[in-house]
Amino acid sequence: MKKFVAIILAVVLCLSVCACGAKEASVPVIGICQYGEHGSLDNCREGFIQGLKDAGLVEGTDFVIDYQNASFDDNINNQIAQSFAAKDVALMCAIATPSAVVCYAAAEEKDIPVIYTAISDPEQAKLTSGNITGTSDKLPVDAQLELIRAIQPDAKTIGIVYTTSEANSISTIAEYKDKAPNYGFTIEAIGVTAGAEVTQAVDTLISKKVDCLNNLTDNNVVGVLSSVLEKTNAAGIPVYGSEIEQVKLGCVASAGIDYVELGKMTGEMAAKILKGEATADSMPYKSVTDFSYYVNSAALNEMGLTLPSSIADTAIEAN
Amino acid sequence: MLDMIIGTVTQGLIYALLSYGIYITYKILDFPDLTVDGSFPLGAAVTAVFLVKGFDPYLTLLIAMAAGALAGLATGLIHVRLKVRDLLAGIITMTALFSINLQIGGSNLSVERGIDTIFTAPPTMLLFGSMPLMYRKLIVAFILALIFKLLLDAYLKTKSGMLLRAVGDNSALVTSLAKDNGRVKILGLVLANALVALAGAIVCQEQRSFSATMGTGQMIFGLATVIIGTTLFRKLDFVKGTTAVVIGSILYKACIQIAIIAGLPANLLKLVTAVLFLIILVLGGMKGKVKQSA
Repeated sequence: MKKFVAIILAVVLCLSVCACGAKEASVPVIGICQYGEHGSLDNCREGFIQGLKDAGLVEGTDFVIDYQNASFDDNINNQIAQSFAAKDVALMCAIATPSAVVCYAAAEEKDIPVIYTAISDPEQAKLTSGNITGTSDKLPVDAQLELIRAIQPDAKTIGIVYTTSEANSISTIAEYKDKAPNYGFTIEAIGVTAGAEVTQAVDTLISKKVDCLNNLTDNNVVGVLSSVLEKTNAAGIPVYGSEIEQVKLGCVASAGIDYVELGKMTGEMAAKILKGEATADSMPYKSVTDFSYYVNSAALNEMGLTLPSSIADTAIEAN
Repeated sequence: MLDMIIGTVTQGLIYALLSYGIYITYKILDFPDLTVDGSFPLGAAVTAVFLVKGFDPYLTLLIAMAAGALAGLATGLIHVRLKVRDLLAGIITMTALFSINLQIGGSNLSVERGIDTIFTAPPTMLLFGSMPLMYRKLIVAFILALIFKLLLDAYLKTKSGMLLRAVGDNSALVTSLAKDNGRVKILGLVLANALVALAGAIVCQEQRSFSATMGTGQMIFGLATVIIGTTLFRKLDFVKGTTAVVIGSILYKACIQIAIIAGLPANLLKLVTAVLFLIILVLGGMKGKVKQSA
């Protein structure tokens, strides 16, 4: 036991020596913890920094960014949050739910404000009270259902593949099941656990003769979107995306939010905290209510679908 | 900077419990146990659910260990009684546990700040309440790592512990002693997974959350820590295997921390971590100058 204690102490000392020489910055540091590399999450981050600048802050003199990416690894994710707390950053910006949860836990003692973005359901993740706030990327489900109804007036069933371990998907699928009857749809949902199961689930949905597929912001499903589209194109079933990046990949259309705008909104909230105009505690979280229609004309043509003029006027070509 | 070192060592000490588990299965029993990727989040899921229900945080540790023990028992029975190969038996339990964990804790479950954890509950506060939370975490993690190290060391010296080592080294000997080889293996898996689930439980309390995907890669992490630890101290007989894996665990976490501090591009983080391991292993191997016998 004495040896055990001695060795642990030795290791601590060695690490301390290695660690010397790092100097402290006097400019407030904003630690950005992003859960993984992903088009929409990257847009959030860029928007966030833009939002800070829009609020009149200058990078380098008013704030510096310490950006870390967890590559979808929960261990690294937690360690990033811990290191932000240890560095005593002025503010933590967490992008996606898993990052927000660990940042908030790590920020507990020093009561560092945490600001998050790209979270579908802050209530469910219990991120609504305390020194934390941010923006939600809750999908515009009604708008999406309206869009599908407009493009496919005769459609009855919508197939959705989602991942049972992704919090965002669980809350969104519940909303879809709830709202679909209002637009005369029924939802055929299949839950999967891994990327490899997605195409099997798609095969099942095709054999059940669904009229179309609809995506959520499900990282696992979106990760294999190309192979999903290969199957659905062969079967002549249109796929609707949940954001612009998916439409670019070949989904026919989407009613989606603009993640750069979402990030900007978050950045402006963060600026208020840094300037001392407000605290994270006093600001409730925000969701974007604006959405745009994104369409992929080539994919629509291939499916023999046409855009109703009501949508075509405002739709943005994503391709 | 001191804060960062404390944070890293705390992480290493907490994860050392997982390394103990893998030390038992991989190093002692010579059993590649993939149950770990399922029993780690199982411990966290059970803990999160019971904490939210208002159970004593220390009690939840025991409940988590019991759950982990059951997971180990399942793998053991599948392997020994149903004669499924070791790797596959672990894969089967791990796969089943993924669904079970989702049933228990959902895709993610947060433990609010108002709920006490082992780092903020009365007994800890009574003893170390005057210290900042960060130091309390370090001390609690240290005490837990130490208690279970001593328990494990003591156990390995008992008759049952000796048999456990014998099964890994020379199973024919165990049979010749008229002992049931399979039963010893099952016992080892039960102990190992109880420790792994305990690590999951502490991690859950420390980061105040459970996520269904938190088990991914834990087996690899544990293997790395055991191999780093035992390789570094191969020549130093006075350092016990259990101590070596604690150091392995802290070094692993330090490697990741260094990679994070260096501010490397996200996609390179794992590559750099891998290179750091390799350096540790090579340095450790050179110092020992021993024949290949891992």
